[in-house]
Amino acid sequence: MTDTYLKLVNAGSTKTLAKKLGLPRPAVLRRFVPGQPLVVGPTLVLGSADHGAPRDATDAVARLLVAWGLDVRRDPAQLEDGARWGAVVVVLTEVETPTDLSSALLALGSTLRTLAPSGRVVTLSRAATESDVPAVAAARHGVDGALRSLAKELRGGATGNGIVLGPDLAGTDGLGVPSVAAALRFFLSAKSAFVDGQLVTVGSSAGTVPSDDAGWGAPLAGKVAVVTGAARGIGAQIARVLARDGATVVCVDVPPAGDALAKVANAVRGTALQLDITADDAGTRILDHAVGRHGRLDIVVHNAGITRDKLLANMTSDTWDPVLAVNITAQLRMNEQLLASGRLADAPRIVSLASTSGIAGNRGQTNYAASKAGVIGMARATAPLMAPLGGTVNAVAPGFIETEMTAKIPAVTRQVARRLNALQQGGLPVDVAETIAFLASPAAGGINGEVVRVCGQNLVGR
Amino acid sequence: MSAPGSAGGPDDQRRPGAAHDGLAREILELDGVPSLAALYAKGVTRPLVDRLPGRGPAGGTPADLPPVTYRVGALETRGSAVAGRLAAYAAHVGEPPSDVLPAGFVHVLAFPVATAVMTRADFPLPLLGLVHLENAVEVRRPVRLGDTLEVLASADDLRPHRRGTQVDLVTEIRTGGELAWRGRSTYLAKDVVLGDGSPADARPADGGSGDGDHEATTWARPLPTARWTLDAGTGRRYAAISGDRNPIHLSALSAKAFGFPRAIAHGMDTAARALASVAARRPDAYEWTARFAKPVLLPGTVDVAVTPTDDGWSYDAWHGRSGRRNLSGAIVRR
Amino acid sequence: MTPRRTTRQDAGDNPPPDRSAPGPGPGARDAVVVGGNRIPFARAGGAYAGVSNQEMLTAALDGLVARFGLQGEVLGEVAAGAVMKHSKDFNLVRESVLGSALDPRTPAYDLQQACATGLEATIAVANKIRLGQVESGVAGGVDTISDAPIAVSPGLRRALLAAGNAKTFQQRLKAFASVRTSDLKPDAPRVDEPRTGLSMGEHQAVTTARWGVTREAQDELALASHQHLAAAYEAGFFDDLVTPFRGLARDNNLRSDTSLEKLAALRPVYGKTLAGTTPSMTAGNSTPLTDGASTVLLASREWAAERSLPVLAKVVDADTAAVDFVHGDEGLLMAPAYAVPRLLARNGLTLDDIDFFEIHEAFASTVLTTLAAWEDDTFGRERLGLDGAFGTVDRARLNVVGSSVAAGHPFAATGGRIVATAAKLVAQRAAETGRPARALISVCAAGGLGVAAILESA
Repeated sequence: MTDTYLKLVNAGSTKTLAKKLGLPRPAVLRRFVPGQPLVVGPTLVLGSADHGAPRDATDAVARLLVAWGLDVRRDPAQLEDGARWGAVVVVLTEVETPTDLSSALLALGSTLRTLAPSGRVVTLSRAATESDVPAVAAARHGVDGALRSLAKELRGGATGNGIVLGPDLAGTDGLGVPSVAAALRFFLSAKSAFVDGQLVTVGSSAGTVPSDDAGWGAPLAGKVAVVTGAARGIGAQIARVLARDGATVVCVDVPPAGDALAKVANAVRGTALQLDITADDAGTRILDHAVGRHGRLDIVVHNAGITRDKLLANMTSDTWDPVLAVNITAQLRMNEQLLASGRLADAPRIVSLASTSGIAGNRGQTNYAASKAGVIGMARATAPLMAPLGGTVNAVAPGFIETEMTAKIPAVTRQVARRLNALQQGGLPVDVAETIAFLASPAAGGINGEVVRVCGQNLVGR
Repeated sequence: MSAPGSAGGPDDQRRPGAAHDGLAREILELDGVPSLAALYAKGVTRPLVDRLPGRGPAGGTPADLPPVTYRVGALETRGSAVAGRLAAYAAHVGEPPSDVLPAGFVHVLAFPVATAVMTRADFPLPLLGLVHLENAVEVRRPVRLGDTLEVLASADDLRPHRRGTQVDLVTEIRTGGELAWRGRSTYLAKDVVLGDGSPADARPADGGSGDGDHEATTWARPLPTARWTLDAGTGRRYAAISGDRNPIHLSALSAKAFGFPRAIAHGMDTAARALASVAARRPDAYEWTARFAKPVLLPGTVDVAVTPTDDGWSYDAWHGRSGRRNLSGAIVRR
Repeated sequence: MTPRRTTRQDAGDNPPPDRSAPGPGPGARDAVVVGGNRIPFARAGGAYAGVSNQEMLTAALDGLVARFGLQGEVLGEVAAGAVMKHSKDFNLVRESVLGSALDPRTPAYDLQQACATGLEATIAVANKIRLGQVESGVAGGVDTISDAPIAVSPGLRRALLAAGNAKTFQQRLKAFASVRTSDLKPDAPRVDEPRTGLSMGEHQAVTTARWGVTREAQDELALASHQHLAAAYEAGFFDDLVTPFRGLARDNNLRSDTSLEKLAALRPVYGKTLAGTTPSMTAGNSTPLTDGASTVLLASREWAAERSLPVLAKVVDADTAAVDFVHGDEGLLMAPAYAVPRLLARNGLTLDDIDFFEIHEAFASTVLTTLAAWEDDTFGRERLGLDGAFGTVDRARLNVVGSSVAAGHPFAATGGRIVATAAKLVAQRAAETGRPARALISVCAAGGLGVAAILESA
């Protein structure tokens, strides 16, 4: 699972050699460690209307960042010699025409050479809708293209992501919306290390933000979470991150994986539930366990998944059916039972694992892609059912993640797959887990029915 | 019951003025328990000497036993030597640790005195080749480690057997002047004819003596309660403990010289194991009998049945596969 | 000495037991089975070859901790044992606790009662809970044949000890001079009864012959054991009783595809030299030598309630009997035939009051000779002091999810397997019917021992 190439090109004589040869040199990403600063270096806040009125939205962002203890600057020139920007936040909520994009984006462009390693660019904009004046829609959707492109230009582990205010938030400047603040904080932080080129839409002002740093440190305190497929890989890491954030975690996996599952459960001080999620009553048994043992159920992470890769021409029901059964049918049945039970805690969260294969497709994975694209469809359609409960359902689509599963990919293919993204490396299970923990947090209540890719901005798909 | 060794024996220790026992036997005092090795040396050489031209018995064997009782006035059981020997014995036959000497161990202690009687020049049967047929021990009261034992041994009841001539060696142990233990060992000298008679049913020696080979088929063996697994070294270990280094017990090679296919277990070893199996519930005073049938070939396993009876236990031991009986007897309360 | 252990007890409305009284009698307060965990049992020399008792017991404990969220919990005690134990493992259970996810301040002790170790441990912990001495505890057992202790011969041991005490090189040399070649042969542990030299199988073969149990009856019972165990696995019955270990997710002695024909084809291995009988005990209707570990979580009701833990069953009562097999009085494994009648009588119960019989299948014929004895008039009168036969066990209630012939029998681990299984069975039955359900557990053990216990849904 170790990316030896990444290590070689970042250390010692091999680093020098790689530089001379002009080899791609993926950066070592800054990842979250409790207690670390949110951003390293000054943060620049730029607005589309910096050279005219109104400045309200931009000012509000700056005030919020100051409140988080960041070193906030408003002028690209305000950088000491030799210093580097830790982050640049571009507020584009007020653009009316495509020409309004130029000042802020060109100002942003002037800072990119002085962006710190693992620096952050975050845009804040509004969703373009059919009811918009065409020029407004063009301007708003223009942000999308600009963000995705600049993210591909960033080097040194820096990422670019965007927050989009949904149509229901038209009347607000967005900063009073809990999930906007939460998303901004997530994108600025090292928790989003492998999330790149993504635009996340905040659809409502649901959710609650922590009132202080301690709250941001344990956003899931008091919550009970269930993670399926928790015995190893990404699932185990999800359990660890949810537990780190304060949740009590019920670790679920099939009985044959029970020994690894027990180790994870003991490491996160949760409980192990050996259960095949394709069982008819899996949802009920999960509820019984969570509510019976821990008093409630707040968060369900549908992580369990399997692959049975074959070209469609060679596919049989032996390879097709189980993949669909585990990866999507079981989730649908469980969600049905969970929602019908009336026993979920207030503001429940469901996060389901999709895959970039389900977005862009992947040769040999028709079954898997069908199930994972199915997850995305399910998340979108389940979102309206969760909203009345104050709840959300979202999908997270990992790209190439360094796991036991991807370690089995032939070496050359693996090396190529790793580099096929803007960050030129595979992500780690913890990157997926951090994104899930963010979506599962109370502050993310305004993000519902979304798909967030954790792929280092894979070159294929959106 | 023979072994190479140096010369010397009890004859040299005869004392003048010896008393007579009740059967008008002369009581000969020994200074101590004689060395078995020395006795064997004598026992082995005597028949050889007898076989020299002109030295052997002309017709039959003399029909009289030596009219003597050998006596050791004070056999001390204090000290680490006897204790160590007792521990080895107990571990070997399966007796629990105790300071009460198992009846079989008393036999071991006194055995050289009886052997001394059998190695006398006037003892009518050759020591070499004697077969142990039966053994009966009466324990009147416990003999304890540390007791001083008075040992008396004599030969008794020389009589014909269908396969030769048999004789009893009677040994008594007294402690504090009272009889504590009495053992009667019956030996057969095969193909030895008393006087000028002839054996009732002479057969080639096969190591067994029993009451007939047809017993194997007629005897209804019970279900076993135990099984002894005896390894090839069993005879050597019991020989080391008891001093009975008869070559038939020591190795396959030496046993073959005497017509056995492999080494055979000491009869008294097997009888002692049967006695040990009831050790925990054995009363202070009891009788312990053993009849030796087919010898136990080593290595080998022996199936054993210990059956409760009204006044104790009876036991049988046999070869599991063939069903041939090796041993039977009883432990009975007195 | 320390008074009662105080983890988190005496909360709520339940007053502590009256310590001035001579001691609470049975039922003073309940000891309940919360649940259990074991690792799959593995045939010796197979999946767990080279795995130590400590590793297996720790794994079983960790699985239990994971199932019930006991990480960092100080339990009242952990009582467990192993029949085959290395001398370095004198504190095996405590060492396992220290290596587990339990709070290291959880006390532990080793106990051993041959194949009944796990059940006796359960009784011991339950009794302490009932007496108010502890609020919670784990009972268990572990055994390995694959990593069995091999001792040096007495001769070599003496030499090694002497050499260890020697002060000079010459003394050390002298110490070893006494060692013979034969002393270098290691002493493997014996599974024979020390007092009889008969293996357990040979002993049972004698009992089998005495009761005239047929080969067919034994094979049928063995087949049922495999079929029941396989069906229970398929139904997910063991999903919350077993945690996989070392690549094994199910007991690897289980043959779900076995049949009477296959069983009938096996050659007898025990009782081949018994006069007047047809040997009938085969590898198929006997338990194999097995490695494995099991644990059971016991608690007071209050302790379980405070932690929102399930309560499957309460431990009603238990009884241990022993028989004199050395002097030919009774068969080695027949002690449960005495323990059970005594236990049921004391509790005013008959065989008809029992919903589940969990009779340890040391051999298929052990179960059958026990049942035969209970159905026998003479045995009832002369051995049990009853007016006639003790009674008949409804075979439909016997070992309904399989037993040792199919699962295997890692000596000390069997009790924990059965207790957790029986507790789950009565809990399920009570949940289905709304009425209390009872299980009777019976385990025979080396040395002529037999332990029986009653569990009742709680």
